[in-house]
Amino acid sequence: MGREKTYQEEEFPTPLLQLWYNFKQTPVVMIGFGCYLFLIILAIFAPIITPYSSIENHLDHLLLPPSWHENGDVSFLLGTDNLGRDMLSRLMHGASLTFGLSFIVVLISLAIGVIIGSISALTKGVKSSFLNHFLDVILSIPSLLLAIVIVAILGPGLSNTLWAIVMVLIPQFIHITRNAVKEEFSKDYVLASRLDGASSIRILHYSIFPNIIEKLISQATLAQSAAILDIATLGFLGLGAQIPMSEWGAMLANGIEYFYIAPWTVYLPGLAILFAVVATNLVGEGMRHALKQRKES
Amino acid sequence: MLIFSLRRLNLFLFTIILLTLLSFSLSFLFPGNQLVNISGQVNATDEQLAIIGESYNQGGSLISQYFAYLSHILSGDMGLSMSSQTPIFNEILIHLPATIELTLVALIIAMAFGIPLGFIAAIKHRSKVDDTVLTISMLGYSIPVFWLGLLVILIFSIQLGWFPSSGQISLLFEIEHVTGLLLIDIMLSDDPFKWQAFQNALAHLVLPAVVVALAPATIFIRLARTAMMQVLESHYIKAASAKGLSFRQIIYRHAIRNAMVNVIRDVGLQFANLVTLAMVTEVIFSWPGIGRWLIESIYQRDFTAIQGGLLVLSSYIFIVHILTDFIYAGLNPIARGKKYGS
Repeated sequence: MGREKTYQEEEFPTPLLQLWYNFKQTPVVMIGFGCYLFLIILAIFAPIITPYSSIENHLDHLLLPPSWHENGDVSFLLGTDNLGRDMLSRLMHGASLTFGLSFIVVLISLAIGVIIGSISALTKGVKSSFLNHFLDVILSIPSLLLAIVIVAILGPGLSNTLWAIVMVLIPQFIHITRNAVKEEFSKDYVLASRLDGASSIRILHYSIFPNIIEKLISQATLAQSAAILDIATLGFLGLGAQIPMSEWGAMLANGIEYFYIAPWTVYLPGLAILFAVVATNLVGEGMRHALKQRKES
Repeated sequence: MLIFSLRRLNLFLFTIILLTLLSFSLSFLFPGNQLVNISGQVNATDEQLAIIGESYNQGGSLISQYFAYLSHILSGDMGLSMSSQTPIFNEILIHLPATIELTLVALIIAMAFGIPLGFIAAIKHRSKVDDTVLTISMLGYSIPVFWLGLLVILIFSIQLGWFPSSGQISLLFEIEHVTGLLLIDIMLSDDPFKWQAFQNALAHLVLPAVVVALAPATIFIRLARTAMMQVLESHYIKAASAKGLSFRQIIYRHAIRNAMVNVIRDVGLQFANLVTLAMVTEVIFSWPGIGRWLIESIYQRDFTAIQGGLLVLSSYIFIVHILTDFIYAGLNPIARGKKYGS
């Protein structure tokens, strides 16, 4: 940390920066964070850096085992699937589908949830109480079940799945924003700016959001790990990404028939999902730990 | 306790109203004719449809239509399945018990393994045991359930051959349908091969139940760990050790009981998660439960079945939720006085 004190001036890091200082203390979390960044980079650049296209068939290399196997071929590093498509390229494309899309989905629902949540925190009375009950009911229905229902209405397909998951994730963001905003609003510094004549919108923007953003981010990482699993599960059930797409869950479902003779077609996508979820959870875990430390100090 | 019960009852009614409203509005949201979606009468002629429309109060306002739908549901008429033309209610009666059996067994397994492990981790806080348990729990709730299911089938039923990989019981056994819960039905039957049937059903149950239980168990580990750590830091534990009680006595007499109460509070919320996992697991293990039935009806675009299945499944989740609330309130006097939502 060793910041030199050249000047007398005191430095107050923003809540977000404080979170970061606490966050980077734990080595395991930083490894997870590294994996998370790696996945983001992979998701963005996958179409450029993959050795083959994700749907290109190599008909003379069907069900080729990974290259460390004695029958493997080094030009197909992780082997091929039943249609001779390169597993490595498909997994890399899958990163931008499963992981990248889950990131976007969470961003969209975060934005909508924060807007609705802060509006509802400012209203009082029957409307607010109704919303509270309503959220309780929605939050008690499992996210996957709701997503399945929405997909049933919209029809199967990747884009419908994404909208379903956006809708499913919104309530938890409303809930957390609402509670956090209400908690901040009862604090004295908000009262001070209120006495200065600031409007509610101004207080929200300048006083409250900088102080609750860390809670939102930590909720967002939780939501993302759920979103990855939901996208993959719906893909696996055949309700999400359709056949030629290299979404990890759909790839896994595609490999089941050849599970016994070509186990890598099932192992590898599963490992990829596990890796993405563990990396996201590690980041979330580190975030919550850092938040707790900050509160205690 | 009375006020507490009234509040819970109020919440329960509110939820049931919301759920029926949701399932009622689904019939409008699904593509196709709303009347066909809600009644499932695909092959009905125009005259028959007119009669059905009369019973659903089609001419009236939306509110009266909703009440007509509600009275249909309350009299056990959820329409016909659009794909098989059998009453949804009967289908649900056949499929729901299998799911109840699977989820309850999984819940018991998850609690039986998760809670003690969490307590151990909390007692040995910041040691290797704690780290190992935390790592396992992190892996456990990150693992995709369908992948885990496939791995378990590959290892334990194909390679080792210990357990069967699909279904609820071998087709050789014929068990009379009494309660629907297979294990209980077997005990009730007077079949001479009762014990073989029971063992067979149990062998079928082990793998799916363990797969469903893994992720909730890891969450129970975390809940139990936090609860126990909170309890161990409290003043009455310090007072107890100041009185000279040994560590073992403190843990068994005071800490476990107080920590358990806090864990039980969250069982209801975890149960919703567990049911979702069970739905996916049922598909993989061909378990004849309501989750698999629901997902199959999505493939077949059987809208009546989706509405009915959703309603029943979410009511089941909510009833368990309320039950755990009551158990929690029964165990913990502080919770009874608390205002709702505070």
